Amino acid sequence: MHFSMWLAHTTLIRWLNDSVVISTFVEVLHYFSMFLLVGSIVLVDLRLIGVAAKRRNATELANDLFPIMWVGLALNFLSGFILYAGGAPDYYGNHWFYLKLAVILAAVIFGIMVQANVKNWDRPAGIPVGAKLLAFVSLALWIVSIWAAVEVPALTGVG
Amino acid sequence: MYHLLYSFCEWLQNTGWALNISGSTWSYPYVQAIHFTGLSLWVGTNIAVDLHLLGIGPKRLTSAELNNALFAWNWTGLAIAVTGGFMLFSTAATSFIVNPAFQMKLGLLVPLGIILHIVVQQKTKTWGQAKDTPGVAKFMGGLELLWWFAVATAAASIPYFEHG
Repeated sequence: MHFSMWLAHTTLIRWLNDSVVISTFVEVLHYFSMFLLVGSIVLVDLRLIGVAAKRRNATELANDLFPIMWVGLALNFLSGFILYAGGAPDYYGNHWFYLKLAVILAAVIFGIMVQANVKNWDRPAGIPVGAKLLAFVSLALWIVSIWAAVEVPALTGVG
Repeated sequence: MYHLLYSFCEWLQNTGWALNISGSTWSYPYVQAIHFTGLSLWVGTNIAVDLHLLGIGPKRLTSAELNNALFAWNWTGLAIAVTGGFMLFSTAATSFIVNPAFQMKLGLLVPLGIILHIVVQQKTKTWGQAKDTPGVAKFMGGLELLWWFAVATAAASIPYFEHG
């Protein structure tokens, strides 16, 4: 609690959150980077499941999309941290916010697992069933992340 | 014309299913999540091709190949986003329709953005054949990227124009 009070009152965080123009920009950046992050990883997942870009090599598609996922994640984390910091004491003890972060962490871990293994799964015999299952869990975790994220303001009035 | 539109909005937000969404703490976020999931597919795949045209990032595929690989889920994303968006709109149609940020978003930026996207998507078939894209492709890719950022900005500005 002490830390969140301090954080919310630092000069940089107040400057980024108190102006309507800057805070709206940060908010838009948060949405936009989320679209890049989720859009890119979900397309790789859909390719592995076997319902997208079937004529394209999964490894090649994944290699072109993964950098977008990482840039999206970095910008999403940065803008999300600024938004969080602006109202840090309100998020303290907010269980829906903690749930959102936990689901995102799980989704990122599954994303890394997918990225690390695409090369091995991409065989002439087809994508192994276990890989399809993992891709499905990754996809589902991102949808749950989005849902958990919109539940935070809806149920707790914060954000 | 405006009167007709307003009457339609009034009718829409009083339909049973619109009242169901707006009246429940639980269902509204589900509908928001549908809108954002669709947008992630639509905007995410749009920007992936735009960045590719701009020459930013790795290119295992040509832009034409990537464009083609993402095509089906690109439009599926828009369909999901429009479905969720219409449901959100129906919960408070009369206040959305008079909101300047919403008017800007749905009346101008989104229709022009979709036309711009169709042009870029069609042209990418020729622009994106070689790994190195022509100047016009880079310009149009950059323009589309900025365009959807502007759409998101108009959307995020809607609450600032709410009154009554």
